[in-house]
Amino acid sequence: MSARLELENVSHRYGNDAPALEKLSLAVEPGELVALLGPSGCGKTTALKVVAGLLRPTAGDVRVDGRSVVGTPPERREAAMVFQKPLLFPHMGVTENVGFGLRMRGARKEEAGRKADEALRRVRMEGFAGRSPGELSGGQQQRVALARALVTEPRLLLLDEPFSALDANLREEMRDLVLRLQREGGHTTVFVTHDQEEAVVLADRIALIFDGRLQMYDCPEAFYDRPATREVARFFGATNFIDGRANDGSVRTPLGDLRLEGTAPPGEVTLTIRPEAVRLEGGENSFRARVSSTSYLGTQVHYELRAAGTTLRAALPPHVRLAVGDEVTARLPATSLWVLDRRF
Amino acid sequence: MGGRLKIVLLLAPALAVIGVLFAGGLVIAFVQSLGYVPAIGMTELTLDAYRGILSDEDFFDSLVLTLYVSGVSTGVSTVLAVLAALALRRSSGRLSAVVFQLPITIPHLVAAVGIALVVGQTGLGARLAALLGLIGEPGDFPALLYDERSVGIILTYVWKEVPFITLVMLAALRGVASDLEDVARTLGAGAWQRFWYVVFPVISPSVVAASLLVFAFTFGAFEVPYLLGKSYPTILPVMAYDEYRGIDLAARPTAMAINILIALVTGAIAALYLRLARDLGRRRG
Amino acid sequence: MGKKGGNVGLALVAALVAVPFVPLTLWAFAGEWRFPDLLPTAWSLRGVAHLVEPGGGVLGATLNSVLIGAATAAASVAVGMPAGMAIGGYQWRFKGVVIFFILLPILVPPLASTMGVHVTFIRLGLADTLPGVFLVHLVPTVPYTALILAGVFAERTGELEEAARTLGASPWQAFLRVTLPGVLPGVAVAGLFAFLISWGQYVLTLLIGGGNVVTLPMLLFSAASGNDPVVTSALALAFALPAVLALVLALRVLKPGERAGGFVGPGKFS
Repeated sequence: MSARLELENVSHRYGNDAPALEKLSLAVEPGELVALLGPSGCGKTTALKVVAGLLRPTAGDVRVDGRSVVGTPPERREAAMVFQKPLLFPHMGVTENVGFGLRMRGARKEEAGRKADEALRRVRMEGFAGRSPGELSGGQQQRVALARALVTEPRLLLLDEPFSALDANLREEMRDLVLRLQREGGHTTVFVTHDQEEAVVLADRIALIFDGRLQMYDCPEAFYDRPATREVARFFGATNFIDGRANDGSVRTPLGDLRLEGTAPPGEVTLTIRPEAVRLEGGENSFRARVSSTSYLGTQVHYELRAAGTTLRAALPPHVRLAVGDEVTARLPATSLWVLDRRF
Repeated sequence: MGGRLKIVLLLAPALAVIGVLFAGGLVIAFVQSLGYVPAIGMTELTLDAYRGILSDEDFFDSLVLTLYVSGVSTGVSTVLAVLAALALRRSSGRLSAVVFQLPITIPHLVAAVGIALVVGQTGLGARLAALLGLIGEPGDFPALLYDERSVGIILTYVWKEVPFITLVMLAALRGVASDLEDVARTLGAGAWQRFWYVVFPVISPSVVAASLLVFAFTFGAFEVPYLLGKSYPTILPVMAYDEYRGIDLAARPTAMAINILIALVTGAIAALYLRLARDLGRRRG
Repeated sequence: MGKKGGNVGLALVAALVAVPFVPLTLWAFAGEWRFPDLLPTAWSLRGVAHLVEPGGGVLGATLNSVLIGAATAAASVAVGMPAGMAIGGYQWRFKGVVIFFILLPILVPPLASTMGVHVTFIRLGLADTLPGVFLVHLVPTVPYTALILAGVFAERTGELEEAARTLGASPWQAFLRVTLPGVLPGVAVAGLFAFLISWGQYVLTLLIGGGNVVTLPMLLFSAASGNDPVVTSALALAFALPAVLALVLALRVLKPGERAGGFVGPGKFS
């Protein structure tokens, strides 16, 4: 049932405004869960609405299983969407809401009701079949909305920040639910979020979008280990950037010559390393540094290290106790150094 | 309790104004309708006035006329408003707001005068008809003022109230109804299904509520029929006014009885309206 | 329906809305306009002259309308604001009943209650006087100001006032310096509404003023019952002017969300 989704050079602009989406291309494999991630206003919801058919792209093509759907109205795309707000139909009960999509496809009332009850069980709302939407909490309403989308066995499941209106622990619970349902049902799913953590937890692959442009499309780990640009690295919490000049397998920097694992094209480059990867030990790529600030975070301690005019952040386990002013030897393991193109 | 006292004190001025000038006036009107008007020496409580009007053919003619005028005005306004709102739902919100606010803001008297100058026998309509060779002289043009069918009154009401209902509907259509329509689309509902199963049920309470308001208003309104209506039968508020202003002071209880009946009908509609409005509020909440 | 269709529809609606104003405007400046001419054959300023004629009564009636309207607006804001605070700002029992009571004068035509208080007004010497007319005008205006301001106060969470209190403001200072400036736009709208409702009042003025308190709608009504479309049209346009001005003002000054559209009711201004 689940389909392969392709976007090819999809652009969209509202009226005469700056384009909300600029030549977005990506493919989602059958059964895959892809997160469209980005700050608010970056065009990710626009992209989702283009896939749903609620917006028509100003350029480019959207294909489902290889066939273009640009001319297909939303009601014939079998792309069920869950919105930020639950948007349950207020004049229908919970069961009628969930059965709506089936009834629209001509299912009989009893059959729709039976399948709706089944779907409600899957989202653990079986006790609420007879209620009206107004009697449910926000989280319960969103579960019903999820059931309402799933019951139609859509070829694409589109989720537009469905948990952003819920509070933190409820959000986590809903995440687990979505993950379980998606694994069970194998729906090709596109999930819009501005929450980097949510994207990492849920997604098989993340498409990071800034200003309507795709920045990077890869599995979650890649965003930490191999960010494409400085902006991507920053968005994922990287703070250590070291400028230098590459020469074969090493880079000349203010901290000394740092050896890389592979090779870098010669020229100006920026190195990045995650705070967790910084070691306090001697050896290759090590240098003397002074602790300039500390902050205790419970499970970790963050230290700011200054050396040769450069500031690095190191995240260390809490049992390592350093004070401001301490002299330490820090090492940047070659396996954890990642080369960014200096242009960014 | 300090809190409760504060609420009471805050409400006191408004409740005093409405309690004395409105509720007090209604009570006096009711007492007078029972034949108690000491100022003119009537002190006996009777139901004569009510008996009188209920057996009076003039009253029934008036009642029928009133129901006809407010019923047709409300019906026509609602239908036109629904069509207008559906046609305009995707047009510029700001522009349509300006266009629709104008008739709502213009006093009824101005509207009545303007409509009269359009549909009268020497009005703009008649002149156009003459230009097209449809009529020769003013008398050939159908009488739409002071007429049997109260066309002028109804047209004035329609001109005034269609924008009101339309604005209420547009607010509902552009608000949650349009989001719900998107949901329905992604769930596979076609255009007609979306209208019938989602848009219509979602907006109809607002439409009914707005129509109720229009009915209540036209049922009790005075000046447009007073200006554009014929002299017999008159609509109920005009009849009450004529009885009240008449030379025969003994007719006062009759005037008041008519007034009380109007108040009862509109009060019942008000209660119905508020119930609807409250249900709507709950649904949103 | 497409956007284009919507705009065509809007143009059609705008034309229908404008229709009654066509003969009003033409007649107001017509010198001679015989049947079946489509346009006046001569123009004149007789209608305008009638409006500003020193002894013609229009200026006096306008002054009466303005006086009563201003007094009504001020009084109904003063009375409606505390009620609006109570309804919008606090939770208490029987609120629904009180709201129903306050709404009643809007929904039930004021004919009955006004005829009821008439005798008392005669006894108190209020009948046929400006103060008497002002008092009955409060009946339709107070509900509107109270409910508009209730909406304004309902949007305030009280957090700003709490912040002011923690910074050392007394409750009264907090009200004066924080609450009042915050609700001022709403108060202005409520006052404008009250003025327009009073301005448009005909039957209440007729009953309590007894023909001795002459306001603009009185003149318009008698002109409309007569046979001089030039004067009638000029009066009608003058009478409609504040409403149009208020509309322009409201659309310019207020953001869409602030417009008190929820309170727009039929017959509001007449």
